[in-house]
Amino acid sequence: KVRWKLAMSWSSTLTPFATAPINLAKMVEEMSGGNFTIKVEGAEKHKAALGILDMTKGGQYQMGHSASYYWKGKDITTVFYCTVPFGMNADEQNAWFYKGGGMELMEKTYAKFDVLSFPGGNTGVQMGGWFRKEIKSLDDLKGLKMRIPGLAGEVFAKLGVNVTNIPPGELYTSLDRGTIDALEWVGPAMDIKMGFHKIAPYYYTGWHEPATELQFLVNKKDFNKLPPEYQTMLVTAMKAVTADMFIDNYAGSIDAWAQMKTEFPNIQVKTFPKEVLKAMKKASDEINDEYAAKDPSFKEVLESQRAYTKKARAWTTIGEYNYIKTLQELAE
Amino acid sequence: MLEKIEKIIARTVDGVGIFLAVVLLLLVLNVAFDVMMRYLFHASSVGMQEMEWHLFSVVILFGVGVALQHEAHVRVDFLYDLMSQKTKALINICGTVLFLVPLSLLILFGSFDFVGDSYSIQEISEDPGGLPYRWVVKSMIPIAFGFLLFSAVGYILKNIKQIRSGK
Amino acid sequence: MTGIIMFFAALVLLSVGYPVAFTFGAVALFFGAIAAYIELMPNPAFVMVAEEFFSMFSMMPFRIYSIMTNTILMAVPLFILMGIILQKSELAERLLESMGILFGKVRGGLAISTVLVGTLLAASTGVVGASVVAMGVISLPVMLKYGYSKKLATGTICAAGTLGQIIPPSIVLIILGDVFQLPVGDLFKAALVPGLVLVGCYIVYIVIIALIDKKVAPEIVVAEEDKKGSIGRALLAILPPLTLIILVLGSIFIGIATPTESAAVGALGAMVLAAMYRKLTWQIVLDSSLQTAQITAMVFAILIGATAFSMVFIYTGADLIVEEFMMGLPGEKWGFIILSMAAIMLLGFFIDFIEISYIVVPILLPISHAIGLNPMWFAILIAMNLQTSFLTPPFGFSLFYLKGVCPPEVQTIDIYRGVVPFIIIQMMVLASIVVFPHLYGLS
Ligand code: NA
Ligand code: NA
Repeated sequence: KVRWKLAMSWSSTLTPFATAPINLAKMVEEMSGGNFTIKVEGAEKHKAALGILDMTKGGQYQMGHSASYYWKGKDITTVFYCTVPFGMNADEQNAWFYKGGGMELMEKTYAKFDVLSFPGGNTGVQMGGWFRKEIKSLDDLKGLKMRIPGLAGEVFAKLGVNVTNIPPGELYTSLDRGTIDALEWVGPAMDIKMGFHKIAPYYYTGWHEPATELQFLVNKKDFNKLPPEYQTMLVTAMKAVTADMFIDNYAGSIDAWAQMKTEFPNIQVKTFPKEVLKAMKKASDEINDEYAAKDPSFKEVLESQRAYTKKARAWTTIGEYNYIKTLQELAE
Repeated sequence: MLEKIEKIIARTVDGVGIFLAVVLLLLVLNVAFDVMMRYLFHASSVGMQEMEWHLFSVVILFGVGVALQHEAHVRVDFLYDLMSQKTKALINICGTVLFLVPLSLLILFGSFDFVGDSYSIQEISEDPGGLPYRWVVKSMIPIAFGFLLFSAVGYILKNIKQIRSGK
Repeated sequence: MTGIIMFFAALVLLSVGYPVAFTFGAVALFFGAIAAYIELMPNPAFVMVAEEFFSMFSMMPFRIYSIMTNTILMAVPLFILMGIILQKSELAERLLESMGILFGKVRGGLAISTVLVGTLLAASTGVVGASVVAMGVISLPVMLKYGYSKKLATGTICAAGTLGQIIPPSIVLIILGDVFQLPVGDLFKAALVPGLVLVGCYIVYIVIIALIDKKVAPEIVVAEEDKKGSIGRALLAILPPLTLIILVLGSIFIGIATPTESAAVGALGAMVLAAMYRKLTWQIVLDSSLQTAQITAMVFAILIGATAFSMVFIYTGADLIVEEFMMGLPGEKWGFIILSMAAIMLLGFFIDFIEISYIVVPILLPISHAIGLNPMWFAILIAMNLQTSFLTPPFGFSLFYLKGVCPPEVQTIDIYRGVVPFIIIQMMVLASIVVFPHLYGLS
């Protein structure tokens, strides 16, 4: 009999993120006839949302469910296994993970933490965030107070945004009362529960997290101790719930967006002006090049992603993109 | 001899207390400064915001040892108050040896890996503009509990003196 | 079951009188070892038990680190510092003297002004001890001198001095905000009306009792010309602290600053006030800061003890036992509310609000979620309940503070009897929040 524990970066009620590990536990238990159980603990229990990597490494938990870019402070290369500004979309990134060498690179990066990392569910493209004021030019960004984590935060910081860090529980109040002017969360499925649409009229389209992939972390020693059939069960179940989460989130966003639009018809979907996006792209490239110059492993993964993006985008453009475009033209 | 050691410990703990008082005042200034920068100049720095909890950490972690010497830890004292000075001293010695010391040792040694991991990968802030050297602030945990043990030795000696004085 | 036994063992051991924080922590270690032994029961090899034990507590550094990075808790020292500086600048004294002159002529006026000053102090700090001590030193002799009954005088001071816990800013509310994961500013807002209702009820009670029994609160004769100049002086004493209160609470309520930020600005403001009264010295600032650091560290130490405690509690599955029991109570949510309120009140006789907030409330919280209680409402109920625990004999904190500064002719029993009517008023207000949450905007 094997009894494992899994810690999540989120609370047990944060669907669909928390749904993935909870379903994983259910699947593994059923597949093993009740002999392999995983107890899933949310952040409300272990109270160390950002300690998941350490705790999986240290063996306090055999598994974790989190997002790779949270470990940016430990190793900057980890950001690539979540998402990066102006990076690949979910389809392209999946192709990179499984067929473009991504999994191998991820294993290499996480080797020094003695853990294994697996994709843990993708949110698809994330929305650029809720803004109280419209952004018409680069000047509007100067002095803007925004909550935005990760590399995207560094991009914004470079453009003069005051990037601040506020715990999720205080986000709504902070935006409501003007402690911050803007924030980014995920997309309709998850934003709707936070209620941001009630207090900020501008909903910007994405650029910063085109395909946020969550991650399953597994303590390497514990994984190797598993009998091979359990290893297979676990890996298969992880892949299955990862696909499920993508579906849950996509369907959730479809419904949530319809609901938001009905209840609050005044929400204005905006795309950042070209001038702003150009500056973001430039800042993003500069930041990537700076890190690559300092860190050879960052450089290796950056180059792999850049090369793969170029190749993948050629197909995406004539495939998916053209299809949507054709339909839109047809509707006009 | 014992009294001399006790005095040295007491003085050191008092010194740390003064240091913490100053750190706390710096915390007040730090937070107030951040608010002012935000409202007057529309500027904020993640580094300064992180400095807030760095200072806060120093105060709460090391304050535990200072509070022990100054009897600032809350007790349930309805029975304790009725006891003689000697019995009180005995409770304090036993409590420190049996309760405080094991707990402190567990945290002290239990946090070595935690700090070591952070040091070995040279962990820095995950936010843009944040502070480097996470291992420094993390290492405050074992150091502070070492300091608590140090203060506890003085506290035990103080209570031994109380018993010896025969009251 | 081990976890449930541990809880009662902790309560028994606490009564020995060693500091609460370390007692809780050590009890957790002891029962953690037992739990590890039981867990490996058929063949508990020593090495295995030790390994299980250490892995049980290996989360400690992570939990401590997340306390260190908790910006909500940072408001605690800042508000305490603000309160202590105000206390050391003898602000309470000035307020009391001037209010006494304004209301002295009304029957029961001295007691009413004590309540009002208590409210003002409550709204400027979250520290209970300071207000009780200040009013005990100044207000008590005056009330006794003018023939107030010892019972009414001491009861009023304890009750008024404790208001700081429920009227924002308040340490209880900050800690509950952390435990409940609710915005502290919203909790402050939600507590304002219940707190003011409490103040109103105190005053109504004093007015009525003074009318019924002419001996408990006689009127004072003040010469007319004395009064004229004193109104001006009284306003002068009230205005500066009132400004500070409006600035601090106002900035939180309007939302231009987080509670932590307002607290820091408030602490600086208190120093400026003290300087205006020419009471600010480097020594006072340093002493206040040192005292604050120790109180904060005391809270932190209890939080660590509570963390170790809850690790073992959860490890043994005791949380599930409590949950099952509570969910099985008759009367659905009412059974749960009544029992949890009774439990908190009972525990409040023995241990103080910090342990209750960190050990008992986290056990109740998941159940209240499951039942679907409005968390804001439940939090305010707990805050109101904890407020009462400051007054309940034999171990109410306020009673101790007052006893410490009483003139010898006032006996402990006078204080105990004096607070009874105020405890009853509090329970009535608490009951009214339970039954009519919508009146308090909490439904
Ligand atoms: Na996001
Ligand atoms: Na208060």
